[in-house]
Amino acid sequence: MNLLDIFDPKAAPRPIGIDLGTTNSLVASVSDGTPRCMGDCDGEALLPSVVHYGEAGQIIVGKEAQRLAASNPRETIVSVKRFMGRGARDPETRRLGPYAFVEPRDDDDAKVIKFDVRGKPVNPIEVSAEILRVLKKRAEDELRRVGGAVITVPAYFDDAQRQATKDAGRLAGLEVLRLLNEPTAAALAYGLDKKQNGTFAVYDLGGGTFDITILVLDDGVFQVRSTGGDSALGGDDMDRALAEVLLAAMGYPSDEGRTPEIVRLALDAARATKHGLTDKETVEVELPVRGGDTRHVSITRSQFDELIKPVVEKTGIACRRALKDAELAPESLDGVILVGGSTRVPFVRTYVERLFKRHPLADIDPDQVVALGAAVQANLLAGDGDAEEVLLLDVLPLSLGIETMGGVTEKILPRNTTIPAGAKQTFTTYADNQTGFEIHVVQGERELAADCRSLARFTLRGIPPMPAGLARLEVTFDVDADGLLDVSARETRTGIEQKVEVKPSYGLDDDQVEQMLMDALDYGEQDLAARRLAEQRVEAQRILMATRHGLETDADLLQGDDKQRIEAAADALAKVIEGTSAAAIESGISELDRLTHDWAGRRMDRAIANAIAGKSLGDVESSVKDAAGTDAHTAVADAHASAMGPGADPSLEPPVEPRPSGSGSSTRGAP
Amino acid sequence: MDPFDTLGIPPRFALELTETEQRYRDLSRALHPDKYVGRPASERRMALSKAIEVNEAWRLLRDPARRAEAMFRRAGIEVGETKGAPADPELLMEMMEQREALAEVRGNKDRPGLETLVAGMREREKSVLDRLAAALDAPAPNPDALRSNLPALSELRYVRRFLEEASAAEDELT
Repeated sequence: MNLLDIFDPKAAPRPIGIDLGTTNSLVASVSDGTPRCMGDCDGEALLPSVVHYGEAGQIIVGKEAQRLAASNPRETIVSVKRFMGRGARDPETRRLGPYAFVEPRDDDDAKVIKFDVRGKPVNPIEVSAEILRVLKKRAEDELRRVGGAVITVPAYFDDAQRQATKDAGRLAGLEVLRLLNEPTAAALAYGLDKKQNGTFAVYDLGGGTFDITILVLDDGVFQVRSTGGDSALGGDDMDRALAEVLLAAMGYPSDEGRTPEIVRLALDAARATKHGLTDKETVEVELPVRGGDTRHVSITRSQFDELIKPVVEKTGIACRRALKDAELAPESLDGVILVGGSTRVPFVRTYVERLFKRHPLADIDPDQVVALGAAVQANLLAGDGDAEEVLLLDVLPLSLGIETMGGVTEKILPRNTTIPAGAKQTFTTYADNQTGFEIHVVQGERELAADCRSLARFTLRGIPPMPAGLARLEVTFDVDADGLLDVSARETRTGIEQKVEVKPSYGLDDDQVEQMLMDALDYGEQDLAARRLAEQRVEAQRILMATRHGLETDADLLQGDDKQRIEAAADALAKVIEGTSAAAIESGISELDRLTHDWAGRRMDRAIANAIAGKSLGDVESSVKDAAGTDAHTAVADAHASAMGPGADPSLEPPVEPRPSGSGSSTRGAP
Repeated sequence: MDPFDTLGIPPRFALELTETEQRYRDLSRALHPDKYVGRPASERRMALSKAIEVNEAWRLLRDPARRAEAMFRRAGIEVGETKGAPADPELLMEMMEQREALAEVRGNKDRPGLETLVAGMREREKSVLDRLAAALDAPAPNPDALRSNLPALSELRYVRRFLEEASAAEDELT
């Protein structure tokens, strides 16, 4: 920890977990091994995900903004999450709501939806960043220094929605360690808290999104089997259904005469009624009627149930498909976990109970459980907690494909593939001396590319001139642990690495994000430079720590005078950290990176060998304990020998104590 | 990269899946990107590509048709959806009839009929798997003997595709 203490001797940075929700957002951290949500000055953990843009340019987030929504419906953005990663022509813009949108100038401009707030365009990434800033401040007040953050996203979020969330984190000045799927976060909170093993379904119905995830919990391994959902389905849709009824009662059966204020009022009244109906059979609402009178309207629970039935039944389709994808019957589940505020609605609970034929679990507050899980994951990623024991294996929620001739989708990675995942595809040129190539990547299950969600178009350039059909372009699609896609390409005949120009179909490109960062900072470039320096320092400190740790555990894998050279480079880097040149730190990092590259490869091979050998030895030990006679023992030992390949006779290995898996690998204690 | 080599397990068609999954998890524990947060960039990239390989290996080995392909490839026999032996006309004919039968029960919303078809096909899947296991796991297989089992692989692919479609039909009927 010494290294990290250089800049602030009093506080070490502490990782945080953030649930950036449709209706409410939360921030949590782990202290003394227990995750806990951090509250505002009143101790309130839930921050309403509402952002108000004031007349004088002031920005208000949370409860106060919620109050202002009634009188300033267009200047107050509610449920911004539903707009994340969406384009200006998305159907979401046409649903019942009080907002004004900026008409896109052209197709390029239509890639990101923009609210028209007091005549200025504001995009969902910026709105979300305002919410994240408040949460970050809240964490800083309590923890003094905030380290990396894990931000949760609905499992069913596609690439564009994930990228938008990550950009919002960056814009808010957070170091985003990982995007974590909300149901997986909830399972992590449950699994570690209750020490449960088995197969579980996580039914997560929030304000604007629905996820169903089937996963297996097995001694610290959280393996997602399948996931499904709808990233535009949630409590908001219940509110809208009820608001339509209230609007009719107020004298506005159609769009005619509905002002943003009236729409906001109806939506708010609908939400309050929905909450009231959780405990009561009937709720009476007082509504202003067109013309000036007020009117009392009674809504019964069965009336409400009837209204929301189509919304809730939509979740059933996704649940059945997820069970099928996981090759499971509802009866073979060990439990169903409820997550999200909308699972408080009695009709939802009954529906889930009928669907899965069992009483669902809701022991951990469904509003908080996701943030708590995110904090646990952040802590693990920061190298605290039982990092060795826990492993999250998540999946790709929607198939990735490319458009082929005739507009048909060819799947390259099917949905529910464990991430990180990769696929290679070989293309060839169709014209003589063709030097460029365009590939359209889509996400979704539909046959036609036009019916799937367009992710990006990739242009490959610089193919050496060759007769048609001779070039072999190998394109690699990698999906990382955040579920984000990366594409690279190579011409295999010449081995030339191709330049890949990424044109995302939705969202912002890197330059635009950079510009937004500049705009957000008070002093523009000067601030940005300071921020870069701080980021480079953090990065350099981590790498130094990792390197020094490696020198302690794996120095025997170094060759020649590598050790001296690495130590010299590390010392040099430690020195430039104290300086003020981000560029010097950056070059020090890449120098150390270069020197340790081969060694890192050998360390990784050792980690692999340890993972294989460590467990096999443990297996032999435990099998021996259970085995009745020597025959069984020999059989196991034989299997072990062949698993290690020729030349690796286990009997020559020094005796090793049986131990929990992985504890011998060189990844232990990674910062 | 051969999936058996990636996971460091002896090549076998009749694979013990529980044990293989355990090996897959052990390797994931060592290589998952979560374990490399804060490491130098090149190390993170290296771990990422290894983790992808391990995930891919497990995905292939879990699927019997893909596992059989890997076994054939190890024996130096090139296989793929388009390569390998041309389909046996008799098998093609039979599969066409089976698909017609599937379309019919689907159209008639005939659930018991669908179940009978699926049960028959599952039986068949099992027998193909047994045949493949006998050939691929033979003590000293010679390439020619193995090659004569390529039709079993295409049969397996047909059977599995049929079962996938039948599963979609089941969805419609529920």
